[in-house]
Amino acid sequence: MKKFMVGMAVAAALALGAHVAAQRSPVTLNVYSEGDVNVQDLWQKSLIPMYQKANPNVRLNLVFSSHGAGNQSTLDRMAAAQKAGKVSGVDLLEGPVDDAGAAGLMDKLDAKKVPNLTRTDPKVVQRVQGYGVPYRGSSVVLAYDSTKVKNPPRTLPALLDWINKNPGQFTYNTPDTGGSGNAFVTRLLRTGISAKDSDLFETDYDPAMEKQWDKGFATLKALAPKLYGGGQYSKNNVETLQLLGKGAITMGPVWSDMGLSYLKQGLLPDTIKLTQIDPPLYGGASYVGVAKDSPNKAAAYAFLNWLLTPGVQAVVVDRMNGYPGVKLQYMGKDVQAKFGDIAGDFSFGFSSKFGADMNRLWYERVAGTPQPQQR
Amino acid sequence: MSRAVRVPPASDGEASHRRREALWGLLFVLPPLAVLVTLVVLPALDAVRFSLGLVPADNVSYTSGLNLVRSDVPTLQVFRDLFANPVFGRNLSLTLFVTFASMLLLAVLSYALALYGRFGVGRLRSIARTLALLPMFVPGVIAAYALITFYGDNGLFEAMLGRVGLPYETVVRRDWGVVLGSVWTGVPFAVLMLSSGLDAVSEEQIEAARDAGAGFWTVLWRVVLPLNLVPLLIVLTFTFIGVFGSFTVPYLLGPTSPQMLGVSMQLYFGSFRQPQVAVAMAVFSFVVCAFAGALYVLATTRQQGRRA
Repeated sequence: MKKFMVGMAVAAALALGAHVAAQRSPVTLNVYSEGDVNVQDLWQKSLIPMYQKANPNVRLNLVFSSHGAGNQSTLDRMAAAQKAGKVSGVDLLEGPVDDAGAAGLMDKLDAKKVPNLTRTDPKVVQRVQGYGVPYRGSSVVLAYDSTKVKNPPRTLPALLDWINKNPGQFTYNTPDTGGSGNAFVTRLLRTGISAKDSDLFETDYDPAMEKQWDKGFATLKALAPKLYGGGQYSKNNVETLQLLGKGAITMGPVWSDMGLSYLKQGLLPDTIKLTQIDPPLYGGASYVGVAKDSPNKAAAYAFLNWLLTPGVQAVVVDRMNGYPGVKLQYMGKDVQAKFGDIAGDFSFGFSSKFGADMNRLWYERVAGTPQPQQR
Repeated sequence: MSRAVRVPPASDGEASHRRREALWGLLFVLPPLAVLVTLVVLPALDAVRFSLGLVPADNVSYTSGLNLVRSDVPTLQVFRDLFANPVFGRNLSLTLFVTFASMLLLAVLSYALALYGRFGVGRLRSIARTLALLPMFVPGVIAAYALITFYGDNGLFEAMLGRVGLPYETVVRRDWGVVLGSVWTGVPFAVLMLSSGLDAVSEEQIEAARDAGAGFWTVLWRVVLPLNLVPLLIVLTFTFIGVFGSFTVPYLLGPTSPQMLGVSMQLYFGSFRQPQVAVAMAVFSFVVCAFAGALYVLATTRQQGRRA
């Protein structure tokens, strides 16, 4: 018995020692991220130096995939590691956390693990089934040539009115090829959706409810002849920006962060200005999640919690010109003032199944009937 | 197009030798055959079954589709829905228009180029021969973008015409835009095919016709064209099959709607999440192209038979 007690004590001491050692020895978190140059800058120039200054024991190793080109191989790697019973080396993942989660590769997060998760909108977290924290939002805004438009439209009816009065000066990309055109179509379809069904369109699927889109599709159809080239749509987010840059159109919906980086790189003349309408065109959040097989979960949770603190969120908002990931009430006065009533209603797109039907019906009902011949 | 070799009756020893040779041959054929079966035939069968309402349980991209027609026995419901959809009708008529217009234009243009390459004289001839083959080394995507830059709105072509005060309306994003792209990318293969046929027409035959007093058009119509019918048939069928199911060129140069079947399939599969409709369209396209292929085989075998 005595021997047993000693054994237990030794084991306990060893375990404790190991634990203490683990606490002291530096932890390396591999952060797999994706996006444009601005996202890479955000991590490399702001977030990582900030966190390491405050937590010298944690090393953050960024593995960046430009435009998400490496996402599939990251997921494949995680899946392969899981199959082989090994550690993939991915600790934190920014990107398709819902796909990875559905494949059983992500850790489900809650407020016990990441206390600041209570500051985010539950609906936003639910969109990825809790497999990630929304740490920043990006939105679709209206870009316009300020030399030709002195008073840009501030509301949807005003925008439609402007398009009708300035034929050929506006277009949007086909809704299946990019968020900016998709947001415009979604915003118009929402005009026919009753308030009580709004949430259902974001999270559920029921084709019978698509009758509520009729009004929006009719508006879009009527709008077609007033668009660029008598009913021409751009092929993706970038083409809208290019048409703006060439001066072929005067106004169009673009992603806020893409528009800003184009302006910064001089790909758009600085006479192009961005504005938001009310109700806003939708935005989307970027999520960071924890890999299921990560051996450094405690450190990963701590990092995510830090990511949602007001000071960090303010930096994110400042660098990305997007929305904060947490609710606006948790942000400083200046951030609240910057977004005013826009971020108050963080407008979302439809659920992926509704989205698929929206794309199809848009092709059938809006683009699908012959456009009036030019001249 | 090789003719069957008549084999003389063999002695016993030779027979066993030949059997061993045949076995080796079979062994060599097996690997590509296995690849063909696993990568092409089986998925194709799977697709056909799926389009008939038999949804395979283990295929995630199939089972997660919207608007699935599920049935325990094969049904033509998916095809009935497809043909009842006016959007499909419009897409199909655009596809057929673009396909036949491309075939016709490509045949005329390539024949002219090939004839010039065969019968023309001077340095210009070899330059033209080389230039005609150039598009072969330009990937379709690049070619499409180049055509957009050149022929598109505010493009070089418009600027050139603008200099001399001519009005211009771009064909990019219209049905003719796809025809333009298809012809441009199709020229090298067609010219190669027709040239090789023309090269086989011997100088003596033409000289003989000329001696008999035939002019250029008579020689072309009575001697060259009949001797070069098989390459022309190959060009026509391959253009048909290639353009009918093409994706890149119509995607980049075509109108937003209606769309060619290739683009439409991709949309239904990806953006609309209706893989069954996409697969049904693929099966339909396969049947149409197989029909075109059969016509070609029939025509060439008859030609061969007449020659033999």
